[in-house]
Amino acid sequence: MHSAVQVPISTLRGVMATDTAQKVQEVRQVTRIERIGAHSHIRGLGLDDALEARQTSQGMVGQGSARRAAGIILEMIKEGKIAGRAVLIAGQPGTGKTAIAMGMAQALGQDTPFTAIAGSEIFSLEMSKTEALTQAFRRSIGIRIKEETEIIEGEVVEIQVDRPASGTGVKVGKLTLKTTEMETIYDLGTKMIESLTKEKVQAGDIITIDKATGKVTKLGRSFTRARDYDAMGPQTKFVQCPEGELQKRKEVVHTVTLHEIDVINSRTQGFLALFSGDTGEIKTEVREQINAKVAEWREEGKADIVPGVLFVDEVHMLDIECFSFLNRALESDMAPILIMATNRGITKIRGTNYESPHGIPLDLLDRLLIISTSEYSEKEMKQILKIRCEEEDVEMSDDALMLLTRVGIETSLRYAIQLITTANLVCRKRKGQEVEVEDIKRVYSLFLDESRSTQFLIEYQQEFMFSEKGAGESESMEVA
Amino acid sequence: MATFSWLEALKSAQKSALVQDGKKKIHFTFPDRTEMAEEYDVKTGDLLVRKWKKKKMLGGDGNWEFEVGEQYFTPTAMKEDLLRESSSNPIFVRKDTKECFQWRIRNLPYPVSTYSVTADNDARCCIVRTTNKKYYKRFSIPDLDRAQLPLEQSAVSFAHANNTLIISYKKPPEIYSLEKEIKAELQKLKAMKDGDLECNPS
Repeated sequence: MHSAVQVPISTLRGVMATDTAQKVQEVRQVTRIERIGAHSHIRGLGLDDALEARQTSQGMVGQGSARRAAGIILEMIKEGKIAGRAVLIAGQPGTGKTAIAMGMAQALGQDTPFTAIAGSEIFSLEMSKTEALTQAFRRSIGIRIKEETEIIEGEVVEIQVDRPASGTGVKVGKLTLKTTEMETIYDLGTKMIESLTKEKVQAGDIITIDKATGKVTKLGRSFTRARDYDAMGPQTKFVQCPEGELQKRKEVVHTVTLHEIDVINSRTQGFLALFSGDTGEIKTEVREQINAKVAEWREEGKADIVPGVLFVDEVHMLDIECFSFLNRALESDMAPILIMATNRGITKIRGTNYESPHGIPLDLLDRLLIISTSEYSEKEMKQILKIRCEEEDVEMSDDALMLLTRVGIETSLRYAIQLITTANLVCRKRKGQEVEVEDIKRVYSLFLDESRSTQFLIEYQQEFMFSEKGAGESESMEVA
Repeated sequence: MATFSWLEALKSAQKSALVQDGKKKIHFTFPDRTEMAEEYDVKTGDLLVRKWKKKKMLGGDGNWEFEVGEQYFTPTAMKEDLLRESSSNPIFVRKDTKECFQWRIRNLPYPVSTYSVTADNDARCCIVRTTNKKYYKRFSIPDLDRAQLPLEQSAVSFAHANNTLIISYKKPPEIYSLEKEIKAELQKLKAMKDGDLECNPS
């Protein structure tokens, strides 16, 4: 049972009907797909053209000097000439280290590879530490290359998406495309339907579809549709209907990472693939071959290297072997810019008994540019909480926000942010429109923050399990 | 001269052959790692399938591209949920006979007067057009390209029946002799029977 949502557009009424239909569908999809993450409000570094930090911009608040420093690093990355530099962002917990890294990723845009990993991610039984690091490095180097691919280019005659009546299940669809010479009907898969709806493709649009990746690009509207009484923006472009065959071979420029090329070339071929256990490791010979090949393409002018960024969060979780590997890896001219973040002060280097600032050996520290973040002021904290409220769609009264800011100052920013969501739920339960002081008080009493919890533990230590052993002997955490 | 070089290329390629289901299947690997597979009917000696697999630029295997014959089973499930041509569209297949290169386009319901087929020697391809602008196809004849022979309009003929447009191109005499030589060359190849093993299990 399918209910058809047809999209043939010939009259104004038709246009409006489909627009609303599309909007409803869109809202549904957004609520389903996009979830609100800890850093989903960040859209960039919030700098002006002179690389000065605006107080509040693109989701960023405060940390002016750190953001300015990050902006300069960003310029260095964009120029793409210098390989293997490393930057350390250091600061107390909850001062926006990861936020700055995310802001840099956003500011770099789609074409520059940005890989984010956490320091503990590289420890795995399937793969050695250095292999995991090498893969992360190679994921952060892009190769811009010309390749011949098959594309479909034509004018949309009709697009039809059938949704199952039950509301769930697989959607199926049909797309009719034409050129001046021919017409073809395509069956659409779910992914294709999604990207067509995202691009808002309608009848009368001229589109191209990359056959291998399924990427849809809207070129403009057909000239033959110019007389329709469509409401159109000033940027609507009119294009001629393509000629000849729908499917063409075209040279397109795209960016792939070195790691992707590694993977393509390292698959064991033929029936031997059945016997080779897939450990996920890539042979050094394969990498060397690919490096040689890339160098060759570069000399022939077929490819460009796009150095990207590798971001390692919680870098103190790496051990001494990883650090010495990094020392060496940064010297390669294929190395990306390495950004690390840590919230530790002077502490033990993992895997040794030596202490060092940030838990990083001095020889590596010597190669780093260090950016430090500082505590937020009350005003900044209030600003951040306000942004988070908007991001989570929470209405909050001024008094409640003031109180929450105080809570944030007393405890931590993260705890305060947690309270936004919970207070909103409490507010909704009592059918309120706006989060009030009462709601904040209620969740504050329901959920302990870290210092109150510690206080509680100290007071009632005797009542917990194994306390008879004596509290004084508690062992320090083993990190090796 | 050029005809000679195609024969040379075949001779220099690494070959293996297998007889299975009344078909002789031959697999060629050329020095540039391009692969070609052919299937001949054992009784009539007709070429049923010729397909190519080229290495991609970034490495890794490509898919088989059919020059002659067609892929009978469609790959199960749509690849990564993208899109594919609807089965109601015209299907273009080459299927040769002894005298002609022949193409069949199925699912074309329009009357015969709709079509025109022209051979364009400059672009090295034949073009099928329809007056109702429903179908258009450019296709090359790789055999003639390899032999560097001209395309001639006089060799082209077409007919329409049972929703199928059949286009024939009469093979020039040079192709005849070349095919004879290739057949003789392939006869020398020792074919394995289905079930034979490459080495003796002892």
